[in-house]
Amino acid sequence: MFLLLPFDSLIVSLLGISLTVLFTLLLVFIIVPAVFGVSFGIRKLYMKTLLKIFAWATLRMERGAKEKNHQLYKPYTNGIIAKDPTSLEEEIKEIRRSGSSKALDNTPEFELSDIFYFCRKGMETIMDDEVTKRFSAEELESWNLLSRTNYNFQYISLRLTVLWGLGVLIRYCLLLPLRIALAFTGISLLVVGTTMVGYLPNGRFKEFLSKHVHLMCYRICVRALTAIITYHDRKNRPRNGGICVANHTSPIDVIILASDGYYAMVGQVHGGLMGVIQRAMVKACPHVWFERSEVKDRHLVARRLTEHVQDKSKLPILIFPEGTCINNTSVMMFKKGSFEIGATVYPVAIKYDPQFGDAFWNSSKYGMVTYLLRMMTSWAIVCSVWYLPPMTRQAEEDAVQFANRVKSAIARQGGLVDLLWDGGLKREKVKDTFKEEQQKLYSKMIVGNHEDRSRS
Amino acid sequence: MGAAHSASEEVRELEGKTGFSSDQIEQLHRRFKQLSGDQPTIRKENFNNVPDLELNPIRSKIVRAFFDNRNLRKGTSGLADEINFEDFLTIMSYFRPIDTTMDEEQVQLCRKEKLRFLFHMYDSDSDGRITLEEYRNVVEELLSGNPHIEKESARSIADGAMMEAASVCVGQMEPDQVYEGITFDDFLKVGAWELGVGTGAALGACRGPC
Repeated sequence: MFLLLPFDSLIVSLLGISLTVLFTLLLVFIIVPAVFGVSFGIRKLYMKTLLKIFAWATLRMERGAKEKNHQLYKPYTNGIIAKDPTSLEEEIKEIRRSGSSKALDNTPEFELSDIFYFCRKGMETIMDDEVTKRFSAEELESWNLLSRTNYNFQYISLRLTVLWGLGVLIRYCLLLPLRIALAFTGISLLVVGTTMVGYLPNGRFKEFLSKHVHLMCYRICVRALTAIITYHDRKNRPRNGGICVANHTSPIDVIILASDGYYAMVGQVHGGLMGVIQRAMVKACPHVWFERSEVKDRHLVARRLTEHVQDKSKLPILIFPEGTCINNTSVMMFKKGSFEIGATVYPVAIKYDPQFGDAFWNSSKYGMVTYLLRMMTSWAIVCSVWYLPPMTRQAEEDAVQFANRVKSAIARQGGLVDLLWDGGLKREKVKDTFKEEQQKLYSKMIVGNHEDRSRS
Repeated sequence: MGAAHSASEEVRELEGKTGFSSDQIEQLHRRFKQLSGDQPTIRKENFNNVPDLELNPIRSKIVRAFFDNRNLRKGTSGLADEINFEDFLTIMSYFRPIDTTMDEEQVQLCRKEKLRFLFHMYDSDSDGRITLEEYRNVVEELLSGNPHIEKESARSIADGAMMEAASVCVGQMEPDQVYEGITFDDFLKVGAWELGVGTGAALGACRGPC
């Protein structure tokens, strides 16, 4: 053991030197540019390199699979149902026509065969329904060297496994500590900075400082996640007195949007670290935080938001009307609350590129900490943000129609599917009003004609 | 990786028993796991996780059909408490389209199996006959969504349909003769199903041979 002593001090000094070097690099290449809002282009270069590696890996797998005669790309999920998009009336007529040998006088009555249609529809939804599909992560067509996205691809070659192992090493031992250090720096700077700014008297200087403190810290956090963001149409960015509305995929959406503009946040007061951050932020500039009890009271919420929006000196509010995280393949129903306030709405579409890391937060599967760890051990988070032109509610529209109009615009821009369903279905059941539609249609068909007959 | 061998043997066995291809079996297995929450069996409550199914007026009958011992070929009556993947596939296989390449006899057999599945949906007490009560029950469920229809209208529709069925099966009845119910053979007659190979779209919910 005593023989190790000289080596001991060597190791310690080596450690000290490497830590210093790491920190200097960190400071120079990441934090300083973040503070000033410049970019060296390192992340874009990183992304290009990664893409080349993924392309090579996929080619390798395809070649390997062909050699072994193994099917690599599984059939499309919808392949099992022979879907026939006809309406209820047409289908039932078709069933009856092919069935009955009686002289058809074309007045549909109840037939034994009518049960076919509903039975089949029921089977189809049991096999595959539109809603549940939206709440599980998107399946990739090529492999991005993350075992968590490896559904279809199996062991192909040694070289690939080595590459994957190298990837694991880089991600967990190099990138992860770096990112955690950055995140730590970012959050502590945010708390300290906003508290300090809070001591200043209200005025232009305070506003200026608080905006920049916020921006700086969000930029550091963006680098902490290695998020490579492309902003489109920045001229349409939200202005004071407006409401910014976006589709929701994960809590990271907030960081992504806030690093490119100044927003007032809206949310529930949390405890713990989040609570500390929230309290600090609100000292520097007015955000809208609600107590848990206040959240239930819709009128109170609406009133506070309206007050905020009418004060032109306050920043635009950032709201996610879906109410929950969706897996970024579709946009679900927007809750009408934010659209009733009557302010200008600035829609924003966010689309993540799943090749580099799946940003979707499946809150029923992963907690917040696990989710953040997963984010920090992915390669990168690549996304595109489109700022859409502002919209206001027209005279003939009600809040729901307005919300749907905004939703379609966002879905169209982001290339997402526009769904009528409520994101709350992730946790609750269907409202009864929906249940009745199909039954109403069918019964109208039967009874309407039955009454005609009994009358004639 | 080592478990892959026995898994593919199982898949082959299931392929033979139910007629699905191995790709379809894997897809259905994923769906099964989703419905069961990664458990090896499904219970009735698991079907509550399918939001689209709520729209269906005969939802309870469809779910019940999955657990019906007659459909599972495990008995002549009663309900199972839970089903495993093989049972799930057995029920799904009733919805595969009829294979055009089979001979006439087999086609008829296939048709009969499908119609028997529907018969079981009507005949809830498993006594082999669809009584007036059971018929009314189905009609009421199908028409239940519409608040404007009173129970009486639904009943009269059911009664009318039942009388027609009786006249087809038994012919002219004596005034005090009681019609006991539609048996399976009557069911085949009354419906006069022409589930020919071309119009098999009605019951053909999946791709692949029967």
